[in-house]
Amino acid sequence: MIGGTSEGARILVADDEAAIGRAVETNLSRHGFQVRAAQTGQSALEVIVSFRPDLILLDLGLPDMDGFEIIRRIRDASSTPIIVLSVRGQERDKVQALDLGADDYLTKPFGVDELLARVRVALRHTARPAAGTAAIFRTGNLIVDLEHRRVTLGGQEVSLTPTEYELLKALIAHPDKVLTDRMLLQRVWGPEYGDEAHYLHVYVARLRKKIELDPQNPRYLRTEPGVGYRLVSADQTAPT
Amino acid sequence: MSPTNRVTDRSIPARVAGYAAGLASVVLVSLVIGFVLGQTRIGNISMLYLIAVLVTAVLFGSGPAVVASVAAFLIFNWFFVEPLHTFTVSDPTEWIALLLFLATAVITGQLAASQIRRAEEAKQREREAVVLYDVARLVTEDDLRAALGSIADRLRNELQVSGVGIDLIEATGFGGTAISGDMRLAPGTTAVSIAPTHLLREGTAPTGAQPSGSGRWVSVVPPRSLGRARSASDRYFVVPVTSDERRVGTITLVRSPLGPQLGSPQSRLLSAVAAQLGQAVERERLRRDALEAEVLRRSDDLKTALLNAVSHDLRTPLASIVASAGSLRQDDVTWTQDDRREFVDTIEQEANRLNAIIENLLDLSRMESGILNPKKEWYDLAALVDDVLGRLRPLTKGHPVVVDIPADLPPVELDYVEIDQVLSNLIENATKYAPAGQEIRVMARRSGGELQVEVADRGPGIPQEALRRLFEPFYREDEARRKQKGSGLGLAVAKGLVEAHGGRIWAENRPGGGARFVFALPARDPLPEKPAA
Repeated sequence: MIGGTSEGARILVADDEAAIGRAVETNLSRHGFQVRAAQTGQSALEVIVSFRPDLILLDLGLPDMDGFEIIRRIRDASSTPIIVLSVRGQERDKVQALDLGADDYLTKPFGVDELLARVRVALRHTARPAAGTAAIFRTGNLIVDLEHRRVTLGGQEVSLTPTEYELLKALIAHPDKVLTDRMLLQRVWGPEYGDEAHYLHVYVARLRKKIELDPQNPRYLRTEPGVGYRLVSADQTAPT
Repeated sequence: MSPTNRVTDRSIPARVAGYAAGLASVVLVSLVIGFVLGQTRIGNISMLYLIAVLVTAVLFGSGPAVVASVAAFLIFNWFFVEPLHTFTVSDPTEWIALLLFLATAVITGQLAASQIRRAEEAKQREREAVVLYDVARLVTEDDLRAALGSIADRLRNELQVSGVGIDLIEATGFGGTAISGDMRLAPGTTAVSIAPTHLLREGTAPTGAQPSGSGRWVSVVPPRSLGRARSASDRYFVVPVTSDERRVGTITLVRSPLGPQLGSPQSRLLSAVAAQLGQAVERERLRRDALEAEVLRRSDDLKTALLNAVSHDLRTPLASIVASAGSLRQDDVTWTQDDRREFVDTIEQEANRLNAIIENLLDLSRMESGILNPKKEWYDLAALVDDVLGRLRPLTKGHPVVVDIPADLPPVELDYVEIDQVLSNLIENATKYAPAGQEIRVMARRSGGELQVEVADRGPGIPQEALRRLFEPFYREDEARRKQKGSGLGLAVAKGLVEAHGGRIWAENRPGGGARFVFALPARDPLPEKPAA
């Protein structure tokens, strides 16, 4: 791999479209990652065994195997983070992939900045899996003191209803990770929920009104259209 | 004696029972007369027999009534007319009385029986009419395949047969078999169960010996069991269903061994039902032909428009991309850092534009094939508007955007991705036509049972003749406007998505200049809130 250092994290890129695979591979190599490519599901599974990647970029439409089946097989053996690559209009597939244990998704066509940002977040999660254990969560102006159930925005105390607080807590437990509607419903309302979205979206909108200074440019709570929500931590708040 | 309808309606045991009952009633009356005559002499006591004859006629029809009349004549003559125990009569007037009695008995019996028969026929026709009405109603149902089952049930109840099967060939569009009851013959008779393909062959309607529309008995019993065949044949009744002179289906009946015979009224009813089914098939065929023609026409229009779009709209960004990439490749020119940056920006921008056009094209083709299926959930509309405006910020940076949404606007049910697309297309449209610096307003309000969302600009407005066609795919007002960036797809896609939500979309000119695009989604009141567990 040109320019790659042997210390860089190992990434497997499984995509049957050669041009995309090459572009992703080149970019990741230049940023110091060790990259392997696979064009089929079968070879991807083999590379996972031999190369032991720290992160897998997986196209859902590989020619020889169902993408969901690949995710299932990977998850049976390991918790290596998976970022799913898919196109717009496949929101239901993305949700299913995430619910099956994929960690994130990228919608084609994607930019290199976006790719690198997602890769870094996913790798950071492996290094520090349970962020929810920290007693105080800080991102930008937003401080959540989990021990005292206090939320402040720029020093001002924000008053949240119990549901809004539970929602924020569920998001904080996985910063920068996309959480599907179903995951949020089950974590906030209980395991018996999942298919009826009830007021999840409405509660998120209320929460956002309270913790975002400019709702048209949400810094912390991003909507992932048709998929779910993502709480963005400080180092990921992209300037617009 | 030729069998009447009344008689053919009955099975053989029932018929025998009728004659036996007629005779029994005569014997009973004879005993009464014998008893009475033992006490006292009464003239014209023979008239008592008329009661027996009448009752027989009413209950069992004219045949048994005639037999009863003759029996009464003979018995009375034998037992009660001098000389007793002979069929000779001594007194000639007695002869005349006896003959008159016989004539009266036969005639009243016949009259009573025919009266009853007419009443029954009227009732029968009324029932037929009701059945036909039901069938006519059922065949106009949307799902004829499901209606077949109801029709089979209805026929089975009406005709009191053990099984009714209706099958239509696949080519009718609702091919299938509906079976009511048991289509097999009695156990031991034959193992042949009804095999629709067996009885049903596509082809022209039977003619000549088997005029179309009328039923016929068929024997489906193999020759080996001919001894039993006698009881088994005559039990399948097959009526062809024809449409446009082609056989498209069959109604098959299996009579139960003890059930009533099927006569001409039943045959008439079945023919009428078959005709109704045939017409329904014909109607469906015509409807599908018309629909197919319309789909073809529309997809033809779309293809033409698509070709135009490809040549005009997809090539423009492609040309920019190819030119920029080519420039970057040139070895004999030294580009400054800024030049290179500009080329790269162009490539990225134009590629994104291509992507947007392709997404709209894909949405449009999904709409055309009717596979849009909004996944509706409750959302806060203001949040959606914020998301869209946030995402489109690079596009709207030349225009001040004003959002006017009441803080107490109730949540609304919508598919987030699809309505996001609608709103994006409308806002994008406004930024294209409104001159830079002019305000774009996004408003939302509840109005009646609807949520109305409006995107208004201060652009040049819309010419009257364009208002109607604005939402057609690839429509653009005129050549001059072709210069505007865009594919002519955005509004068509917005319309398709809104309509998939059961809503409507329209455009109008604003007083004071500019255009206003409004879409309305059906809004029901939100469910009571679910507290967190």
